[in-house]
Amino acid sequence: MIRFFDTLWKTPLIRSLTLTTIACAFTTLLAIYLFRIFDAPNLVALFMLTVVMSSLRWGRVAALWSALLNVVSFDFLFIPPRLSFAVTDTQYLFTFILFVLVALIASDLGNRLRRDAEIARAGERRETAVARVAHDLSGASEIKQIATICSETFAPLFDAKVILLLPDEAERLRPVAHGEFHDLHVAQWAYDHVLRAGFGTETLSAAGVLCLPLKAPLRCRGVLAINPRNQAALNNADERRLLDACCASIALALERIHFVDVFQKTLVRMEGERLRNSLLAAISHDLRTPLTVIHGLAETLETTTDLLTTDKTEIAAAIRNEAEELQGLVTNLLDLARIQGDGVKLDKQWHSVEEIAGITLARLGPALERRQIKTSFPHNLPLVEVDAYLFERVLFNLLDNALKYTAKDANISIGAEADDHWVCCFVEDNGEGLPPGDTERLFEPFTRGKKESTISGVGLGLALCRNIIAAHGGTIRAAPNRRTGARFEIYLPRGSAPKFEMEDA
Amino acid sequence: MHKPRILIVEDEAHIRRFVKIALEKAGMTISEADSVEAALIDSACRDPELIIVDLGLPDGDGKSFIRELRSWSEVPIVVLSAREHEKEKVEALDAGADDYLTKPFGVPELLARVRAQLRRIARINRAQSPASQIRFGDVRADLNSFEVTKGGAPVHLTRTEFRLLAALAKGEGKVLTHRQLLEDVWGTGFPDRLHYLRIYMANLRQKLEADPARPKHLITELQVGYRLLGLED
Repeated sequence: MIRFFDTLWKTPLIRSLTLTTIACAFTTLLAIYLFRIFDAPNLVALFMLTVVMSSLRWGRVAALWSALLNVVSFDFLFIPPRLSFAVTDTQYLFTFILFVLVALIASDLGNRLRRDAEIARAGERRETAVARVAHDLSGASEIKQIATICSETFAPLFDAKVILLLPDEAERLRPVAHGEFHDLHVAQWAYDHVLRAGFGTETLSAAGVLCLPLKAPLRCRGVLAINPRNQAALNNADERRLLDACCASIALALERIHFVDVFQKTLVRMEGERLRNSLLAAISHDLRTPLTVIHGLAETLETTTDLLTTDKTEIAAAIRNEAEELQGLVTNLLDLARIQGDGVKLDKQWHSVEEIAGITLARLGPALERRQIKTSFPHNLPLVEVDAYLFERVLFNLLDNALKYTAKDANISIGAEADDHWVCCFVEDNGEGLPPGDTERLFEPFTRGKKESTISGVGLGLALCRNIIAAHGGTIRAAPNRRTGARFEIYLPRGSAPKFEMEDA
Repeated sequence: MHKPRILIVEDEAHIRRFVKIALEKAGMTISEADSVEAALIDSACRDPELIIVDLGLPDGDGKSFIRELRSWSEVPIVVLSAREHEKEKVEALDAGADDYLTKPFGVPELLARVRAQLRRIARINRAQSPASQIRFGDVRADLNSFEVTKGGAPVHLTRTEFRLLAALAKGEGKVLTHRQLLEDVWGTGFPDRLHYLRIYMANLRQKLEADPARPKHLITELQVGYRLLGLED
């Protein structure tokens, strides 16, 4: 029962008629009260007011209903003979006609006002929506973000599924987001001809989607495929204009991203060029110095016949030292070239950091004698997914630096710790510490802590470390150690380690 | 005193020279070959006790030489190779080489490897059946009774850890590739269990090494495999 009334109440016509009736009843009661003070003709204004108000508010049917009710109650209650529908004075007929006329005019006016207001409101909604799409697009710096805007901001606006399709290198369209898209040929046609296709157009109108080319100033950047729940809704001109406006801003955003990308690539290439030049300059110096020494010492051995045995041994040892220096330099250079080259393929496997550190320590062997090296690797340290060869290069360079740049009695420690997301591997010492200034600069190629130091090397080591760690999705940074000295930290993502079951007890 | 006969197969004359000088000073007799062909002839008629092979030879691949040699000889083979060619090393070891040296290498390292291989082969020739008792550092293990002690105190190893230790011991100091160890411990069909090998190796070090981060016996050969160093008679 309640539900029945509820349904009735939700029908607009029934509701407006009910409300009109209540308004008339109220007016009548008021008029009865006022009738003691005023004459009947003066009360007409009160009834007229009710007619006008209900006409404006509830439309034409309610207006006529209100006119009828008001005339009837006015006639019945206030016009002599009272409490009867007989009309003695013909001039009241004029009043009735006037009531009806006013009702019609007022309802018409009300309708028009309401329509205007609705149009204005809809326009405003649109404008806000378009503005929001444009605003979101202006902040997008990746294709993925644009695809998200299309499916999250744009799609609800038209109550449709919206798919962004972009061309690959062979100019074939592919949906940006994963998912099925069956009307690829429609989209491809729209892209190739830079014309709209799909339902509601002249081309492939049997398709379930509407494909709009994304025309940017320079070229067509892709296609927006729209699959609305209600196709008819998109056929109105306003909706089409709105769609076009949105497509234009998407196309512009795509073009902007394209050029930012081009710009960045150019920048990287220029940076590479600059790097190569300074590399050549630095290398020619750093390679030539040890080579000159080796050449000179070897010649001395060759030509000087009366050398003391101790001198000979010393010269030979110096040659060996210089050769080892060269070897380190060449290895770093080759690795840097390898990692910076295009399409570097890491041989990533799950390794124990402790094991790799063990290799580094073994390889540094003689250099570690009479030095204080502490290791701290918790037993439950997770495996990390690294290219062992390159990761070992990183640890080697960090330890080698620590040995080179600290006094003989300094303590050096290497170790690792893990939290939920990262495995942090560190090399620290209690030596002189890092040079003042920005520690980030240390990781740039050809930067050394001290200029014109007697310690050899071109400052490739840390640059190589950064490149390698970045290729692993990790970060490396330098910081002052607790009280004195330097600490280098490598953060590697923990990732999801492969399955491991302890097989027995 | 017995002078071990060593064959050096290397096409670079300077490398041959310093290797020759170093080994002769250590009391060995040296023959040289600069190609696969010469190496095969030499190893057939002079019966060397150890062969040092460079993997890049002008008339063929060091690996094919190793494979051919292994079809009729158990002579220890030490391979020379460049650092970045891990795959090549693994292939050479899988083909039957016993150890490798990375160029550039130092004379002390070369001598250590050569001596270790000579000791290994001598031990194998002396005892017909492999020893069941092994010792390295302060660790004693009985491969039959599964008993392991470190510094006299018993150490508990899991079955897999023990199998891994036994596999390493069987290698008598030679480098065992990941594949060889996986097959020996887990059997064929588990090539994707490399991380198991690393985890069990870490466990073994934890239990048997004084400082697991600086192992003296359970040695990692980066990207290649493992070896057990310091086995005593």
